[in-house]
Amino acid sequence: MDNSISINLNSENNSMNSLSFSWRARFKNNSELNQFENGKENLFQLVKDRFTELSYFYLISKDNLQCFTVDLLHGLIFYNNHQEIDYNQLEKKENCRLIFFRRHQIKMSINGKEKSHTIEYHLGFQWLKDGKNQKIILIIDEEGNFVINN
Amino acid sequence: MSAIHQFSESNLVGEVEAIPITNLNFGSVDDHELNTTTYPITRGNSSFEKYLRCKFTDTFTEISNMKFWRSDVLGYKTGETLKTAANVAFATPSATPNADSDIPLNEGASLAIQSAAGTTTITAPGYTKYIRLQLHTTGSTPSGSVFQKVLTFQYDEV
Repeated sequence: MDNSISINLNSENNSMNSLSFSWRARFKNNSELNQFENGKENLFQLVKDRFTELSYFYLISKDNLQCFTVDLLHGLIFYNNHQEIDYNQLEKKENCRLIFFRRHQIKMSINGKEKSHTIEYHLGFQWLKDGKNQKIILIIDEEGNFVINN
Repeated sequence: MSAIHQFSESNLVGEVEAIPITNLNFGSVDDHELNTTTYPITRGNSSFEKYLRCKFTDTFTEISNMKFWRSDVLGYKTGETLKTAANVAFATPSATPNADSDIPLNEGASLAIQSAAGTTTITAPGYTKYIRLQLHTTGSTPSGSVFQKVLTFQYDEV
């Protein structure tokens, strides 16, 4: 009975070793924190520690060709360049809070041949509207394709 | 960069860990990465139980929302089922058919996996609890290969 399950996911071939996107946080005092700085990685905990001070959160592709921006001051998400926006025309969103995590999915197949490790970047924000929590989340794959998940 | 994930399998009396493992072959011996030709499961019998867990190391803030399920749609051969239980303690693997439940077949019904400490998040390098797996067959299970199965482990990381 052929019932082997191959995993073959060690640190050498683990795709999370080469993230397709990295983050940059910008705070209300205009200081910035990058995920990777001076040859080391900053923990996201450093952003969590200053959550209420966040103004912008960027997710930037490794090749710098794509940039997703969460504007937490106005409740907007930009793709690449900011566009001219009349903020007065927008619904005012109070107390926007960042949503960000990487969702890993590791698949193991039976015959020892197939395996995969995919990462989705979930990026967006949530806010309160009439006492109810609202959220907008982009789901971005490793190639930069993205969909909106409301 | 970020968390490094590895699968671990534990076997034998007193627990001998193999990490990382390169396959999760079910068979008629309590060993990791076993050769299924050498140790086939005779129909009507069950495989030795597998105790699988995940280890996270390196740089991360939090691992959460850990889930485990069977994600292919091929079903089973007659009399064959894959049993599983989440968040169990290690015990010497047995080939006696256990009373675990059928493995969930979609994310919505997936097993929620806990940290070794029994929490829903992991905030420092460490393990999940064990996932126990066992392949059951009956006398009516046809001889030969079973359908290929895909198991999925999913987690969120920041």
